[in-house]
Amino acid sequence: MTSDSTIARPTAEPAMVIDDVVKRFGRGAEIVTAVDHVSFNVAQGEFVSVIGPSGCGKSTLFNIIGGLLGDYEGSVMIGDERISAPHPEVGMVFQEESTFPWRTVIENVAFPLELQGVAKSERMDRAHHFIDMVGLASFEKNYPSQLSGGMRQRVSIARTLVSQPKILLMDEPFAALDEQTRLLLGDKITQIQQQLNQTTLLITHNLTEAVQLSDRIVVMTYRPGKVKRIVNIDLPRPRTSDVVGSDAFGHYVAEIWNDLREEASRGMADSEAAASRRSAHG
Amino acid sequence: MAATGQITARPRPSVAPATGGAASARAAMMLRVACALVVFGVWEAVSRSGLFYGEVVPSLLSIAKAFGRLLVDPVFWKNLQVTALETIASLAIGAAAGVVTGIVLGANTFLMRAFEPYIYYLSPTPRIILFPVMIMWFGVGPTSKVALGALSAFFAVALSTAAGMRQIDKILIRVGHSFRATTWQMATKIYLPAMRIPILNGIRLGMGTAIITVLLAETKLSNQGLGYLIMQIYTRFDMPGLYALLIIVFIIAGACNALIGRLAKEQA
Repeated sequence: MTSDSTIARPTAEPAMVIDDVVKRFGRGAEIVTAVDHVSFNVAQGEFVSVIGPSGCGKSTLFNIIGGLLGDYEGSVMIGDERISAPHPEVGMVFQEESTFPWRTVIENVAFPLELQGVAKSERMDRAHHFIDMVGLASFEKNYPSQLSGGMRQRVSIARTLVSQPKILLMDEPFAALDEQTRLLLGDKITQIQQQLNQTTLLITHNLTEAVQLSDRIVVMTYRPGKVKRIVNIDLPRPRTSDVVGSDAFGHYVAEIWNDLREEASRGMADSEAAASRRSAHG
Repeated sequence: MAATGQITARPRPSVAPATGGAASARAAMMLRVACALVVFGVWEAVSRSGLFYGEVVPSLLSIAKAFGRLLVDPVFWKNLQVTALETIASLAIGAAAGVVTGIVLGANTFLMRAFEPYIYYLSPTPRIILFPVMIMWFGVGPTSKVALGALSAFFAVALSTAAGMRQIDKILIRVGHSFRATTWQMATKIYLPAMRIPILNGIRLGMGTAIITVLLAETKLSNQGLGYLIMQIYTRFDMPGLYALLIIVFIIAGACNALIGRLAKEQA
């Protein structure tokens, strides 16, 4: 198995180059390095996942790439531009419930177009197209409160896709959902990604999800967050959640878990030590 | 004693209120109507007994007649219009200033820390004590009432807006930034709609205090408005007319309150 590779597929131009990114929080003795010299590329049309235990700086990386955390060292480049504020070519999907409760599904999805000043009939047409794509065509007039959690996340995804970003950046969008819903939504994501040839960067701690969806997986270490390894996932496309039962899938999961277990154990030991310190003091 | 206390204090089974919901609502309604009937009955009895001097407690029939007279009296309508316009103007000015102030204070922790004490300590002060000042600044006419009403509506709206601002789900703000919304777009498309319920509640409270302040100011010193009319009727010692007018003011204030309350509920 060809697993170790830091080079993007030679056929494609990199859509995004993350080069030697460092982010520290705090000052003096309290300083914490959240992201430590992280570098990798995302090729055009590629699906890359960043996986790691809690505390590996995934969310910090998400905020840097999304432009919500402008103050960092190193560079995240899209073309010739270094990201330091939200970039028009990067569309973000958040982990939290983030639909606007006072807008219907179609009004939610049309939101970015409304900000851009697209005419009403055109933005409704475009919103409709992406709502259809995520399979919510019959719920356009509903309010988010009338939908399930999985449906609301699909609304968020459609809302991000409608502005046709070059790079789709997602932070554990299915974290709050149950395993079955997650697998089925994974199918939907794969299908959409293939249909749009959408360059995608997924931040996750879910191993099955990462292997099911990705072309490549960036495995991060526990604090400070470094790139431990980059694994190519050579599972056939088009892919569906059936792939979860295959031998090859099992091999990838086992292999990545091998790396991840070490990091996750360190994270767990750390949080247990912190807990016992707290109880000793308390 | 202790034993019985314990038994009565035990929580009821949760099914009881659920099954008795409609029945208990009906019973509450009946009690409410019965209470009103008792008050009317006692009132009428007292009125007929002649216990009080003159017309201090006029008969229900005379109040009803006065009510009818008022409704066809152009003087009443003219004064109602004055008070309504004064209240609307003071609410509009006070609410607009209150929303802006609330947003600024809610968005900026430093300014909030600096100015919050002023708002908290000034807001329960009865505005009517500033009426002489307003008379000097704006004269005896409607302007001084509007100024005073606006001042009283302002505090309720500003406090409620600032509180609403702090309760906004932070993720919605991150979504706005991620789509590169301008400051104006953030305010009109995220902050204001996200705060519509606290703002409407603030406006409801503000309207209440604006009505009170405007009426009170009119009774003190003015030449038009319902408050002025109340004092006119009082000086004529037309007690049935006075009670009829009070009932009308009560109905108008209640109706306005219900209207905004319904608006807030629809938005929820």
